[in-house]
Amino acid sequence: MRIHRGRIAQHKHDELLRAYLKQNLHELIQQKELVVDGKVKTQLSTLDLPTLRYGDDEAYLAQGAGGSGRGGGGDDGVQPVGGLLGGDHHGPEVRVELDFDEFVRLAQEVLLEELELPALQRVPRGGEVETEDLPELDDLDRMGLSADLNLEETLLASLMRTVRERGVLDYDVDVRQDGWYFVEDPRAARNHRSLEVYVLDISGSMRGDYLALVRKTIFLLWYALERRYPTNLRRYVVFQDVAEEKTREEFFSVESSGGTHISAGFEKAMEMLEGVSEYDTYLFLFTDGETSSGDFELAKRKYEEALDRFDLVCYGHVNPGSRGVGGFSEYVQEVARRRPNATFANLVDLDSVREGLREFLTRVDGGGKVACGSTRRSSRGWRN
Amino acid sequence: MREYEAVIARVEELARQLGLRWDPVVFRMSGAEEIAEVASMGLPNRFVHWYWGGAYKEIRLQQDKSLLSILELVLNSRPAYAFLRRSNTYLQNVLVIAHVYGHADFFANNHWFQKSNKNMLNEAERHARSFRTYEARYGREAVEALLDSCLTVAASVNAFERDPARRRKRLVYFLEEHAPLEPYEREVLQAIREEAEYFDLIQRTHITNEGWATFVEATLLRELLTAREWAEVCVHLCARPTPYTLGYALFGAIRRRRGFEGALAARRYYEDVRLIDETLTQDLVDRLDLFVYDPRDRSRNTQVDAVKEMLIEQKLYRGEPRVEVEDPDHPRDLVLVHVEEGRKLDPRRIALYLKAVHVLWKHPVRLRANGKLYTYDRRGLSTA
Repeated sequence: MRIHRGRIAQHKHDELLRAYLKQNLHELIQQKELVVDGKVKTQLSTLDLPTLRYGDDEAYLAQGAGGSGRGGGGDDGVQPVGGLLGGDHHGPEVRVELDFDEFVRLAQEVLLEELELPALQRVPRGGEVETEDLPELDDLDRMGLSADLNLEETLLASLMRTVRERGVLDYDVDVRQDGWYFVEDPRAARNHRSLEVYVLDISGSMRGDYLALVRKTIFLLWYALERRYPTNLRRYVVFQDVAEEKTREEFFSVESSGGTHISAGFEKAMEMLEGVSEYDTYLFLFTDGETSSGDFELAKRKYEEALDRFDLVCYGHVNPGSRGVGGFSEYVQEVARRRPNATFANLVDLDSVREGLREFLTRVDGGGKVACGSTRRSSRGWRN
Repeated sequence: MREYEAVIARVEELARQLGLRWDPVVFRMSGAEEIAEVASMGLPNRFVHWYWGGAYKEIRLQQDKSLLSILELVLNSRPAYAFLRRSNTYLQNVLVIAHVYGHADFFANNHWFQKSNKNMLNEAERHARSFRTYEARYGREAVEALLDSCLTVAASVNAFERDPARRRKRLVYFLEEHAPLEPYEREVLQAIREEAEYFDLIQRTHITNEGWATFVEATLLRELLTAREWAEVCVHLCARPTPYTLGYALFGAIRRRRGFEGALAARRYYEDVRLIDETLTQDLVDRLDLFVYDPRDRSRNTQVDAVKEMLIEQKLYRGEPRVEVEDPDHPRDLVLVHVEEGRKLDPRRIALYLKAVHVLWKHPVRLRANGKLYTYDRRGLSTA
């Protein structure tokens, strides 16, 4: 038996990383450019050995980009020459950057702990859902599990085939040709996919604590939704005066400026629905609710329209200063009380994130009234 | 391993004809995980530390993406242990075998390596064992803090330093001699210093060692392979990291000037500084597309003298600031001094560094740098 020292070392390393993140999550998460080249840059001096370094920008040895030097590329056509020191991996060559996915995973761990939320089990990715309920096998199909073979139908099929092929009344069962299986009614089957549209207000006022709250909320939503669906299709939209779709990386590295046209955000989000069927559709919009003048009525209409088209529309009023809820947010708060597929969360601090999340999950699991109860599509949502 | 026996015998025969001599080599077929483990820790069976965990994770990630996959590992021990990767193709492993004989010859004949500790494999295991005993006796946290500090100050080793007066100005040797350490603490510091010296030698000869191994590999394979296979190998050779290609080019230049005998003599007496200083020419710098890049004004200096100076500085000081013990003959106070005028140290690291030194010195530690005098004592950092 081999002792996996590498894995033990990695475990120790990750423990420290977690402790560091716990201390610094709030600062890290509000970096304007959270993700650069798929990595989250951190000032991880505690995760490096604290040897001395130069503080000034210095010249370094480099090679043209066509060469075989490696390391993070700086300016165009310039590759810093790395690996000049072999052997032990000491020295300034190990830079601590976190893969964005890993950062999210660690951040989720920290947040769950902070909010004292239980860890959820992960749904196996790739189309199958594990459930503790026994499925109701009240339909028939030509494909299925051998344990669910419908003997009666299969024998009948075999009989028909032998009569047809050989003119004899005999059973000669070939399961590949004759098999009939008990299966779940596909219409009652749990939907395996979610479409999540994240819409972020990037008007001038959304920065610092605002961004931190939004990102923490999104990470927790990912956590919950990834454990509900094996497939999560995610689209990202940012808006100020106009709205545009962004990649995940861009979404987490945005410059804030401009006014707030919430209507544009809703409209762009609805475009994401095109060509999407058999999905549970969620819209998450984060804003401080200060709509630009003249947009209020249009935003109302677009919001109503989004409510008709999405299964669940979650509106996060980002409010780290804990001021009163006014403007467009006040209107949404009112609507959310009436409409079953609308939620409103006043995101003041982590506690309110937990409240918002709880409400969201109640709506999702809510027993047939909200996400799954509407009669528009039978294949969607969770069964009672 | 059986399928490689014939090719190993053939490689050995060719290597002997070239005039190569080596200690016995033991090949070992291993998985990617084991290779990542040894590559990150530097030696198998070494003590487990969080610092290797980061490197291990990084290497595993690269292996998965197969960007830069480590094909081979060989240890400077007697016998020399070489790890072949199970997932390599047959041809890749033939390359590795030829490369390994280059290293084995270098280990046995290079002036500096001849004096190195060939038993470090077992020493490292012995160190790991005693660290585990100390953990049980003095607590895991205390030993980890001690290890962090020792690894930090161990960056000041120099395996080539023979002058006792200059040696005592290096922090790690000074502390070993004068710090008020418990016997077990002193033993840990000594162990870490020994391991650091082992790796320091490898770092200071990295370009020469890898260059020679690649040079031997290419020379042997040209004899061994068909034209078609050789063409494939050339692509591999060109795609290696800079120390390999640079070292290879330098040995190629020596052979052109002084024949294969000259190359053999160079591998006996040279380390990186001398190899670069005597062999690097403007022509090679141009061919390898090397330059000194200054990010402040985005300028490129392609002059051989500038490249040479930068490379030599890297090798002499490992890109780390030069800090010395100010007065090693009066060891009551520990005052460190940054001896490079006009360069600044990163102030964020100073407190962490001095804290690490303080763990060992146990009395106030001072550092003259950035035009200030930093003091670290039980109350923390203060500046004058």
